[in-house]
Amino acid sequence: MNLFPGLLENMVLAAIPAVGFGLVFNVPRHALIYCALGGAIGRGGRFLLMGTLDMPLAWATLLAAAAVSLLGVYVAQRMRAHPKVFTVAAMIPMIPGVPIFKALIAVAQMQEKGTTDELLATALQSGLTAGFVVAALAIGLAVPGLLFYRRRPVV
Amino acid sequence: MIPVSSHGKPSPGGLSEPEQRTATRLCVETGILLLQHGAESALVETVTRRLGLALGVERMEIAILANAIVVTSLSERHCITTVRRNVDRGVNMHMVTEVQRAMLDVEAGRLDVTGYEARLAAIRPLRYPRWLVSLMIGLSCACFARLAKADLPGCGLAFVAATAAMYIRLFIAQLHFNPLVNFFVSAFVATSISGQGVLHKIGAKPEIAMATCVLLFVPGFPLINSVSDMVKGYMNTGLSRGMGALLLSAATCAGILLAMSVWHLWGWL
Repeated sequence: MNLFPGLLENMVLAAIPAVGFGLVFNVPRHALIYCALGGAIGRGGRFLLMGTLDMPLAWATLLAAAAVSLLGVYVAQRMRAHPKVFTVAAMIPMIPGVPIFKALIAVAQMQEKGTTDELLATALQSGLTAGFVVAALAIGLAVPGLLFYRRRPVV
Repeated sequence: MIPVSSHGKPSPGGLSEPEQRTATRLCVETGILLLQHGAESALVETVTRRLGLALGVERMEIAILANAIVVTSLSERHCITTVRRNVDRGVNMHMVTEVQRAMLDVEAGRLDVTGYEARLAAIRPLRYPRWLVSLMIGLSCACFARLAKADLPGCGLAFVAATAAMYIRLFIAQLHFNPLVNFFVSAFVATSISGQGVLHKIGAKPEIAMATCVLLFVPGFPLINSVSDMVKGYMNTGLSRGMGALLLSAATCAGILLAMSVWHLWGWL
């Protein structure tokens, strides 16, 4: 029960960046609401999976992205537009931005000040997290195509 | 190929040569529009092929390269091949939606060749106003800071830094600078602004604002497109998109590092 405030906070705080980046990607106005919903469901789903089942970050991300993508197919068929039009913006709150920059900065510092165990560990750990989560997001979004729409287009 | 059938006359069941030429040109224009505005390769290929078939071509072959698209149409034993170079116009999902809807209308028989051509020429890509995008991105980065457990002053700092950086990024993009230069400069500005919070001790953990105010530079769309291209078998576009995203991140990183050494900030690593 004490997961609920955290869940609500995660969902609200994810919906806003999803719309924000939807504007950067010039998502049509009527689809922005689906960016917000997708962002909230994705981030909230991942929060629940990690909080209740102790699922690792990458697997939880994969399942959350797949759930958003499946719901996206339903919306897309009614909207007559490809689901990626709004599902990618919905994935933005789950993109591992801080790990990407952490890894790159650690690499730059290794070049400048010499390699230490801490820098190497930061670079590897953050870089791997970033790579695995991005792969999980993309594969999760591809799930409807991989499982159900194998030889036919979604829209 | 040697012209076997007569020029200009519609051959039974197939397209005449001028008709096939028009259809091929429309297909390649469609493909390049999608590619320019950030559609993934699988979508570019299916939409282009379906359009060609709907316009009466027997078979369509599409090859998507890192920065070009090749379309070949086959009709009545005639091949017409054409290439278009791709210049990145920035992600625009409105454009992708409109082009795909026009294709769907051709497929459903609601549009003919001339109608489709007019429809394609009439699409004006949607651009949200710069101030609105900047404010929303500032708000988004404030949300990211809150998700990373920043306090209210920290979120405010992330909001100010990200709003200013996004405005500068859109302004520089309008001047047609290389995106790498753009990201480098804007990331320097973002870190410089949020770094003031660390120097003047604003809030409990201003380092969080420093880390989250640069999240607007994460090339999320190219990263996701890169992996989905590779998963769906488009290795070359996937690799080039991934490399492009990595380069943009590296340029951002260089901007952050420059700001860190100018202001002597070694906080958030």
